[in-house]
Amino acid sequence: MSLSSGTLGKLRKIVGDKGLLTTQIDLAAYSFDGTSTWKGMPEAVVFPTTAEQVSQILKLATEKGIPVTPRGSGSNLSGGSVPVLGGIVLCTTRMNKIIEIDTANFTVTTEVGVVLNDLNRELTRHNLFFPPDPQSFMAATIGGCVSENAGGPYAVKYGVFKHYILGMTAVLPTGDILKLGGTTVKNVTGYDLSQLLCGSEGTLAVITQVTLHLLPLPPARQTVLAVFDKMVTAGKAVHRILAEGIIPAKIELIDNWIIRRIEEFSPMGLPLEAATILLFEIDGIPEAVDRETEEVINLCQEEGATEARAARDAKEAENFWTARRAGFSAIFGNAPTAFPEDVTVPPSRLPELIDRVEKIAKKYDVTIVTLGHAGDGNLHPCVLTDEKDAEHLARAEEAIHDIFSAALELGGAISGEHGIGLGKKPFLKKAMSPEAISILRGIKKAFDPKGILNPGKIWEEA
Amino acid sequence: MSQVVSVDDASRCMKCGFCMSSCPVYTVDHIESHVARGRNVLIRWAGENSIPTDGDFGERLSYCLLCGRCEAVCPANVPSAAITVAARTNWVSKKGLNWLQRLIYRGILKQRPLMANLLDLAARIPGVSVKDGKPLRHLADSVSIFTRGLSIPKLSRPFLSDRLPSRINPPKGVKVRGQVAFFPGCAFEFFFADVGERTALALAEAGYEVVYPRDLTCCGLAVRSAGDLATAQLMARHNIEILSKFDHVVTGCATCSSALKDYGKWFPEGDAWQLQASNLASKVSDFSEFLAKEGFQPHPTEPVTVTYHDPCHLKWHQGIKDEPRRLLDSIEGIKYIEMEGADECCGLGGAFGIAHRDISLAIQAKKMESIKKTGAKIVVTSCPGCIIQLRDGAQRHGLPIEVMHISQLIRGQTEQHRKPPSVGDGEEQSPHPKSAP
Repeated sequence: MSLSSGTLGKLRKIVGDKGLLTTQIDLAAYSFDGTSTWKGMPEAVVFPTTAEQVSQILKLATEKGIPVTPRGSGSNLSGGSVPVLGGIVLCTTRMNKIIEIDTANFTVTTEVGVVLNDLNRELTRHNLFFPPDPQSFMAATIGGCVSENAGGPYAVKYGVFKHYILGMTAVLPTGDILKLGGTTVKNVTGYDLSQLLCGSEGTLAVITQVTLHLLPLPPARQTVLAVFDKMVTAGKAVHRILAEGIIPAKIELIDNWIIRRIEEFSPMGLPLEAATILLFEIDGIPEAVDRETEEVINLCQEEGATEARAARDAKEAENFWTARRAGFSAIFGNAPTAFPEDVTVPPSRLPELIDRVEKIAKKYDVTIVTLGHAGDGNLHPCVLTDEKDAEHLARAEEAIHDIFSAALELGGAISGEHGIGLGKKPFLKKAMSPEAISILRGIKKAFDPKGILNPGKIWEEA
Repeated sequence: MSQVVSVDDASRCMKCGFCMSSCPVYTVDHIESHVARGRNVLIRWAGENSIPTDGDFGERLSYCLLCGRCEAVCPANVPSAAITVAARTNWVSKKGLNWLQRLIYRGILKQRPLMANLLDLAARIPGVSVKDGKPLRHLADSVSIFTRGLSIPKLSRPFLSDRLPSRINPPKGVKVRGQVAFFPGCAFEFFFADVGERTALALAEAGYEVVYPRDLTCCGLAVRSAGDLATAQLMARHNIEILSKFDHVVTGCATCSSALKDYGKWFPEGDAWQLQASNLASKVSDFSEFLAKEGFQPHPTEPVTVTYHDPCHLKWHQGIKDEPRRLLDSIEGIKYIEMEGADECCGLGGAFGIAHRDISLAIQAKKMESIKKTGAKIVVTSCPGCIIQLRDGAQRHGLPIEVMHISQLIRGQTEQHRKPPSVGDGEEQSPHPKSAP
């Protein structure tokens, strides 16, 4: 299929000359996302700047039956923003104004193309704090984060995107512009449609504006590094700390393979022999931070950490967190193909999950490196393979299959924060009952009767 | 040790997108093929022949300022700017240069004496040149139709080589600390000769015998960046041969120092010239880097507020950020105010500023906003390209500021009385608007 010149003309009229890309080179640049696997060429890329323009684009697409794939920065890790059926990529990056920071009521209203890092920088100036922190925050847009219901290290104490969404403006595939929710934390007014759109991966509506709940910036922070010679021991230490009633702001886990890669390309002084490192951030009022820091160090030692200490200074703390952020890059940079999985289990089952992953790696003779948000039970076991080596790839895929089964058996989920997209489509049936999937399909139909929005995602092909 | 970057390095990019929010071009137009991540993917696919390498592809390669900021935030240390240059080089070797590029790169920039003669002829046209402090009227502004409105500086009269002896001794009473070769670069030779003169004199006042080798040619960076590696190598060899015999080489031009330090990467691995280039690199210093390293204490100045703009070629290409600030801080009388985003590109990027004028102006506007907020009277920088763009911006936005090279604030301790800093050849800055915006 290719868009007719009439359709392109209409798109150009809506978004202007500079808001439409059609050359092969430009389209190729919108055919991928943050994964190494998925590709799909769009036929046009549009950059609307208002909800009205989005409405006109969607109305046209519905009328002509053209697929529309919403996209922010395209840093997602599930194939979710890849236009697998061609059509239009609707890029939200030019809707990038922060509309209002309400310091009295702790809310921010912003357009969805704002990059999370830019929002945070602005909020910090007002001494405000928006905790959800997907580690792609340097690139990820608010719209992408809301659509994927993204989260990050702070989830253990502060939750994920959906916990902060108060209201939004969204455009239906029919072109109707909806105002959903409001600006208050408490709001029970019919079905909570903004919560439904959060995490819907761009399949129901195009979100153009959101109102988010904020917190005051914690006055003090401390980083603790704990080194373990067994990953399972680290998992147990995490559980013990939470069980003792301490909720650190972050508890992150990095395995030996990643530690070594990070030290190879940008040495930060991480201990090379460690099987696992846990990184904690403790925040709050200074007295509480001091006390909890001490407790965390003691508990890690009691659970068998070979070393546990507070960061010497802010610079060292920053180094540790930079190393953690570099984790995925280290993985992608060192294997032809990497599948960064995203399973989650209840935190108390984490040691079991870690144990199972190690056994799966042995069983299929593949390298699985692990990092993750140990505090909330969200683990990223990354299976390294080479898509050009069919035999190896098959083993890797079986290993992934087993990891999903393990997570589900332990009472967990197949995706914690990356979404289903294309990557986990085949596994949806394992995670949801046919009845539940049928309700999802009904909801999809109610929002998008012609099925133009982000087609080919979440649902397994019939 | 230098490592030659090739287009193959593009495959090291794992598409995290961290470069996006730091890219001056992408944050203006948000087009994926204009940011390191998108370009790296395209360059990789072009190498695998999975996308057409037509004119559009070549054009996309031009949408990079080569500021190098993306490399600083890249968690995998992907040398994206160098990869873009490598891709341009491949492009040029396949498709060739256009006639204008051939004329400028191979005909003029490479032939310094020819360039001098041509520019000297041009300088005789009334209005095209300035004498210090006495601006002539504005025929040269008509040149700006070729630069899409960018006001380019007028030619200096006389040129730097006619102002400076080939050897300058430190003033009497100053302890002689050694000898430096002075590499002025084309901009300070022909367009900002007064600044070039000041730079050389400041080095002399700091206690160095300053040698200005007359037969130097253009550093070649503009040519290299455009992808004409062969011509750039000829220029590099010429300069390497002349400069090798000195222990210190100092330049006031951020672009030139980044080129001179980078020459090793312009030659294939193992090439004899690569070794020579690396030897030279260790002797090259930027003006502020050199003086800071030597612990030079400048003479006090009259009270004035100053802010500093980091040239990309200094901060991102050479990691020099503290030295110029330290130097400014050490001058009694200067009240230094750091601007927000001091290390964000000015938006010129050589030919980029003319080829992609609208993007360049949008980047310039952000810079002007930051400068305005400081309330500083003087913006200091260390790169003639930045000076051009900042002066153009100040004029465009009606900012009552003076844009100066760092050397213009620096006097040796020997001078009895410190004169107020002069703006030099900054005629294009024209009379300052009376009303503050």
